[in-house]
Amino acid sequence: MRYVKLPAENFSTFFETLKQLGKIYGPVKHNSTYTFIQVDNVKELSLDYTRTILPPKKFFVKPRDELFKLKREKWEEVKDGESFVLFGVHSCDIHGLKILDKVYLRDPPDPYYKSRRENAFIVGISCMPDEYCFCKSLGTDFAMDGFDLFLHKLPDGWLVRVGSVKGHEVVWENQELFEEVTEEDLRHFKEFEEKRAKAFKRSLNKEGLADILDLAFNSQVWKKYAEKCLGCGNCTLVCPTCRCYEVCDNWIRAYEVVRERRYDSCFMPTHGLVAGGHNFRPTRLDRFRHRYYCKSYFDPSAGFNCVGCGRCDEFCPAKIEHVRVLEEVREELL
Amino acid sequence: MNPYQSYDAKIIEIRELTSREKLFTLRFTDREVEESFTFKPGQFVVVDLRGYGEFPISLCSPPTRKPIQLCIRRTGRLTRFIHKFSEGESIGIRGPYGNGFPLEKMEGANLILVAGGLGMAPLRSVLWYAIDTGKFEKIYLFYGTKSYEDILFRDEIIYLLKHGEKLNCHVKLAYEVETPSCIYLEKGFSEKVCKGVVTDLFRGEEFDVNNSYALICGPPVMYKFVIRELLDRGLSPGRIYMTLERRMKCGIGKCGHCVVGTSVSMKYICKDGPVFTYWDALSTRGLI
Ligand SMILES: Cc1cc2nc3c(=O)[nH]c(=O)nc-3n(C[C@H](O)[C@H](O)[C@H](O)COP(=O)(O)OP(=O)(O)OC[C@H]3O[C@@H](n4cnc5c(N)ncnc54)[C@H](O)[C@@H]3O)c2cc1C
Ligand code: SF4
Ligand code: SF4
Ligand code: FES
Repeated sequence: MRYVKLPAENFSTFFETLKQLGKIYGPVKHNSTYTFIQVDNVKELSLDYTRTILPPKKFFVKPRDELFKLKREKWEEVKDGESFVLFGVHSCDIHGLKILDKVYLRDPPDPYYKSRRENAFIVGISCMPDEYCFCKSLGTDFAMDGFDLFLHKLPDGWLVRVGSVKGHEVVWENQELFEEVTEEDLRHFKEFEEKRAKAFKRSLNKEGLADILDLAFNSQVWKKYAEKCLGCGNCTLVCPTCRCYEVCDNWIRAYEVVRERRYDSCFMPTHGLVAGGHNFRPTRLDRFRHRYYCKSYFDPSAGFNCVGCGRCDEFCPAKIEHVRVLEEVREELL
Repeated sequence: MNPYQSYDAKIIEIRELTSREKLFTLRFTDREVEESFTFKPGQFVVVDLRGYGEFPISLCSPPTRKPIQLCIRRTGRLTRFIHKFSEGESIGIRGPYGNGFPLEKMEGANLILVAGGLGMAPLRSVLWYAIDTGKFEKIYLFYGTKSYEDILFRDEIIYLLKHGEKLNCHVKLAYEVETPSCIYLEKGFSEKVCKGVVTDLFRGEEFDVNNSYALICGPPVMYKFVIRELLDRGLSPGRIYMTLERRMKCGIGKCGHCVVGTSVSMKYICKDGPVFTYWDALSTRGLI
């Protein structure tokens, strides 16, 4: 890894130079929540944000996504090849994108997702956990790759980790904005990380979790929570690793059709419905449990499908807590 | 190449198999695609009715014969729509998808095909592939149907009831609803046709379980009973193959609709399947 320092006074110039790479999207405060939207001026950014409602997946797997247009009875691929910058992405969300990569880039790659991934310049940023975060237990609290530049807060600026050739080029071309990292900067970096590690209030015990959940298929805990759950699907929409989509053909005028995909949720009763009315997950219990299995699926090469971002907890209207459900299932079984 | 883009295919023939099922014979408009399109029995394609939507359908013709055929049951919005198409019209096809049956591995062994209702469609691909290549010891087909009127590929089934043994193919049929035609058929082939369900057809049949594979396709309820029958006879869970159905949108492991399993094993029916062994079902919850 290459490390450089971005002094505080150069921050806004640095932000301006990134505009050469395309539109910049960053975290902006909206009442009491945050969203990634286009930002023209550093002042609009909320760099000490906790989490956005929708994770950055919305730039790669869009809530509504046009795939094809039907013109003269032939499909034409809809292309959106614009480069853009995602500014201020937290480590957990970077890990979320890496989990999506495993699905969308494996053979055959999804061309829409792939081109957006290639067109994105990702600037990570260090953060402090709040009461919902449990990324530390999942090892997603620090990103070793998956970004171009990563900014770590220092008292007088930023320690920048350079994570890709594209990132390196930006630093190279704007050398005058950066300085060498000093011993003192490294000490501050370490102090911040230690303070952060101590700030986590919530943790997930993942020891043997995959096996325990599998054994607890008939646990009463699933039932208890499935009764509390409203089946609204919020938790899946806001999750940085949820990715189910539905496809539909929309007539936009007499001879023009758009084939579009949009977010679907395994909480919807239609998710497992097939022809003839047969449903493979007919009850709320089946659907509730399925989500926990999907998020806690342990892939030996990639870990869990949850990055501990805390969104599902913060935005669940029934106040169901992810870690709590898993811990209760564990307790009941053991 | 965009994997969601379908190829243009012309419907060259439509045959009414029953009141609900039609057989569509298709040829790709692009000659190169038509010539290079290969598949394995058990694989499926996604049919693209441009402007209306897409749905998955098993290839029901054998890879040894061209052009390709799809047997489509009219059950809902899109299948009702395609039943209104005429010969000469075009649709879109993308695929083939899924793993298919590992038939190379089964060469030299007996194949026990167990079909229930529409499950006959993918198994017909295996059936004729096995007959055409002659690479298998003996082919058994146990087919359970509602009534005489519901028998898919009725002419082929009757032909095989008559002449199957010459092709090393032993066909038996069970029907549930008694109609004059069924009774007539039963009279003609008293050893091979009976009233009952598909598991009744196993009665009196002997096969070498160490040199046989079972291939099952039918409605979800059927699997449990057929598998029990096969296990009771000593067939290993690794020799029982079945093809499964789920809601599917992409067919290539992206949309998440067909995912089954738990925290220790998750499978995509479209990509890891639709063909699985009974052992897979034992180790992946929710598969059957
Ligand atoms: C691997 C596979 C192979 C199949 N092979 C055959 C075959 O050979 N012959 C045959 O007649 N049918 C087959 N089917 C079932 C066929 O896909 C459905 O009958 C068809 O999708 C129904 O669509 P519809 O719009 O008419 O039904 P509707 O009930 O109106 O469906 C509404 C929506 O639900 C979805 N849907 C409903 N049922 C299914 C389903 N079973 N699978 C995926 N999506 C579904 C569709 O996306 C559709 O847009 C197969 C299904 C799978 C998964
Ligand atoms: S399951 Fe919840 S905590 Fe885990 S990644 Fe998804 S939204 Fe975040
Ligand atoms: S957000 Fe909460 S209430 Fe809504 S579906 Fe998820 S768990 Fe259920
Ligand atoms: S059909 Fe989309 S993941 Fe299987």
